[in-house]
This record gives sequence, structure tokens and C-alpha cells, in this order.
Amino acid sequence: MSGSFESFLAMGGYAAYVWPSYAVFLLVLLADWLAPAFRRRRILRELRGRMARQSARERGKDGAAPFPPAP
Amino acid sequence: MNHAPLAPACAALLRRDLTLAWRQRGDIALPVLYALIVSTLFPFALGPDLALLQRIAGGAVLVTVLLAMLLALDAMFRSDIEDGSLEQLMLSPQPLAPMLGMKILAHWLTTALPLIVIAPLLASLLHLPVAVMPVLLLALLLATPLISLLGAVLVALTAGSRRSGMLLALMLLPLCVPVVIFAAGALAAAQQGLPWIAPIAWLGAALALAVVLAPLACAAALRIALDS
Amino acid sequence: MAKWIPLWLHKLSSPPTFYAFAGKVRPWAIALALILGVIALYGALVLAPPDYQQGDDYRIIFIHVPSAWMSLFIYAVMGVSAFIALVWRIKLAEVVAMESAPIGAAFTFITLVTGSLWGERMWGTWWTWDARLTSELVLLFLYLGVIGLYHSFEDRRQGARAAAFLAIIGIINVPIVHFSVQWWNTLHQGSTVNLFGKSHIATDMLWPLLTMMVATKAYYVASLCGRVRTDLLALEGGKDWVRKIAAAEKSR
Repeated sequence: MSGSFESFLAMGGYAAYVWPSYAVFLLVLLADWLAPAFRRRRILRELRGRMARQSARERGKDGAAPFPPAP
Repeated sequence: MNHAPLAPACAALLRRDLTLAWRQRGDIALPVLYALIVSTLFPFALGPDLALLQRIAGGAVLVTVLLAMLLALDAMFRSDIEDGSLEQLMLSPQPLAPMLGMKILAHWLTTALPLIVIAPLLASLLHLPVAVMPVLLLALLLATPLISLLGAVLVALTAGSRRSGMLLALMLLPLCVPVVIFAAGALAAAQQGLPWIAPIAWLGAALALAVVLAPLACAAALRIALDS
Repeated sequence: MAKWIPLWLHKLSSPPTFYAFAGKVRPWAIALALILGVIALYGALVLAPPDYQQGDDYRIIFIHVPSAWMSLFIYAVMGVSAFIALVWRIKLAEVVAMESAPIGAAFTFITLVTGSLWGERMWGTWWTWDARLTSELVLLFLYLGVIGLYHSFEDRRQGARAAAFLAIIGIINVPIVHFSVQWWNTLHQGSTVNLFGKSHIATDMLWPLLTMMVATKAYYVASLCGRVRTDLLALEGGKDWVRKIAAAEKSR
């Protein structure tokens, strides 16, 4: 069994060409898949920050709290 | 309201652009100087071997001229965008496409024509056979306006953007490939004593198409890029 | 004819509706892509017999050829939605065109790298200047040009419209480049897969190839859904429906 697995890995002597090809294929698509997920997190975080600032400003307008409370 | 008919308006625009270019004569000399420098560097890099230089001369001159044009392309509409005269042009009652055609013509006359004039000098620096010289000039006469027209569309697209430069080169490369192939193909055929009329005819056909379509595309691109 | 189709399409092109729709499609598409991808990989790497001429090296085509198809297919999708975006000024079409570009560039890159690795052994050189390779390289430059132009504008919608125009210019340009390079030089082996005629490769090798093709298509749909959703959030940042999503994600 292990012999056949080794021969599978060896790819008839072309392992150096076959496996890098598949690795590039999978890695590039993985990067393509993950990029929008990170971007989405960043966009929503920035948006929440903007919303928090806005609501703080609106509260300030009512006279309840002129400045957002210090952290 | 009556306004100037198209022909005098085009003539006036051409005269204005040429006058502006003439007042900045130094800028006209820059691409020429660049092409001269690049051509003199080739023999130093490749060695003074006559046969080798002869073989690459045509292609080297062609690529040098195209790169020199790319250098100047960026500035095609820049000053007009900065001082707002391009927006004036877009608001003028005359159709935009022929007016832009005139601007492209003026740009070609001030940047490409000097390059074509010194091309024989560059070619003989690299020992291009004299018999091939007419083909080189013909190929340049057809290829440079093609590059100007195609480049103008891309310059118009980048008109509203923050930076261009390198981006323009990246965008122009795919459009350049066929032009270079056919121009260099004609030169190679002429150098081997083969008939060279077919690639020249292709270039001519492409130029005829581009003369009609590129100003229209340029106008559309400008409206997109400056639409705010 | 059914009148609900244009109505449905019109509704779908509104950002919040499409956001929800893409959210439903995405898991199914990625599941389909993963399942078919695993089956195709098993067929390609294990079941398919070694080629009698090329040995195991030919197994690269199981990813090389589907990627090449995808690079062209995605460019076509990008071109069509760029055209729709310019003519009808539909925001969703702009987003689809611009978010297709990175996926297309990824597949083009894969095609070039795997092709080079295959060619290194087949032709003894990793790069030759033949029509198909050169067209693929030009395609990569076109994708990069579209992405670069899109990001060089302050105003995203303006950038999307300019880049859409460039994408349409590119559609005209690719066949011209292909034809001119073919005129210039031809070295490549002929096309081996013809969907509409008799195929020259064995069934054992054909089915993993076609399965992988469907898997990459499904992957494209899934990735596009995710990217369009993200971009819609960025574009519509001030709208109520996006704020609700942002607030809901915080409480989680």
C-alpha cells in the first residue's frame, strides 16, 4: 500500500511538475476565496466605527453628552 | 445662436495646439533625445558586431520609437485638463469626436513626426541596410498614428484618475502587440528580400479603421472619465 | 411570454435583493464546486491512466485546460456586464464586471504557471512565443489593466465605468492579438478537446476534465457572489440595509 502511495506521489518521475501545478491552482484559488472575507470584515468594522461616531454626535446635539466619553 | 462651422473650428483648435507646442519647444525635443540615447545604448550592450546590429536594427528602432511615444503620450490631454479647456471643448457646440481627432493629430505632429524624421539616423547608427530604409519609414508612418490614436483612447480613460504613467503602459501594451508585430514583420520581410506589402497593408487597414473609430471612442471615454 | 422574468431581473438588480440572493446561492455553489472538484481531482490523479506518450506529466491538463477556459469565460462575462453597465447604467452590472476581474486574473495566472510547468517538460522550455501563450499573457495584462484603472479613480463608480470601457476594448483586442501572433509564429500542438466534434482523448481522461470544468464554473459563481456581496456593502455603506447588517454582525 505504501509503495503504491509512494509511486502516486512520484507521479512517474514528474512530481516536480505535477504537484507544483496543483499547489498553485489550490493556493491561488484559496487566496481568491479569502480576500473578500477579510475585506468584508474590514468594511463592516469601519462602518460600525462610523455609525458609533455618528450616534455619539447625535447624542451630543441633544445636549446629553457634548463629547463621547473618554475610554 | 449661431456658432462656428466644424471645419474652421477644427483648424483653430489645430492651430492653437501647435502654437502651444511650439512655445514649449523643449518638450518636443525630449522624446527625440530619449530615442537617440536608447539607440546609442544598443551597440554598447550588444557589441559592435555588424551582422548582429543589422539583424536587430529594424526592430530596435521600432521599439525605441514606440517607447519614446509612450513617454509623451501621458501629456496628451494633461495641460488641457488642468486648465479646464478640455471641459470647455466638451461643452462646445461642435461634435467632440472630430475636435479630439484634431488634438490627436496635433499631438502626433509634435511627438511622432520628429521621431520619424530622425528614424533614418537611428537606423543607420545600427547599420540598417539602406534598401530597407523606405520600408522602415513607411511602417513608422502607419504605426505611429495608430499608436497615437489607440493611446489617446486610453489617455482619455485615465483623465479623471489620480495617477497614470505606469498604468498607461500596462493598458497600452496589449493594444501595441499587433502593431509591433505587423510593423516589425514588414521590416523583417524586407530585410530578407521577401514581399513586405501584406503586413503594411494590414497596418494601413488598421489605421483607416482607427482614424474613424478612435476619435469616437476617445470622446466616449472622456465623457465617462470626466463625468461627475 | 412570461412577464415575470424581466420583473424578477429588475428586482434582482437592486442591491439589497441581490445581496440576499447571492447569500443564498453562495453556499450551494461552493459545495457543488468542492464536491465536483474532489471527484475530478480523484479522477485526474488516480483513476486516469498515464498517457502513453507523456507519462504522468499530462495530468497537469486537468487544471490547466479548465483554468484556460475559465480565463476566457470570465472575460466574456466581464465584457457583457461591462456593456450592460455602460449602456443601462446598472450599478449591479458594474460591480459584477469589476469583481469578475480579480477572479479572471487568478485563473489566467494559474493557466500561465501550469502551462509553463507543462511546457518545461513537453517542449523543453517554459515559455515559447506562440499564439495561445501570448494571447493568454495579453489577457493577463488586460485583466491587470482593468483592475488598475478601476482602483486609480477616487470615485468608485466612475472608475468602474472607465474600466468597463477598457474591458470592452479588450474584447475586440484579444482576437486581433491571437490572429496576429498566429501570423507571426506557430509552434503549439493543435487543440485536443473539441466539445462539438469527435474528441481525441480517451473517456477516462475526458470525464475528469469536464467535471473540473463544471467545478471551476461553480467556484466562479461562488467567489463572484462573495465578492459582489462585499463590494455592495462598501458601495452602499450609507444605506439602512447595510447598517442593519453591520449592527447585526456586531451583536453576534
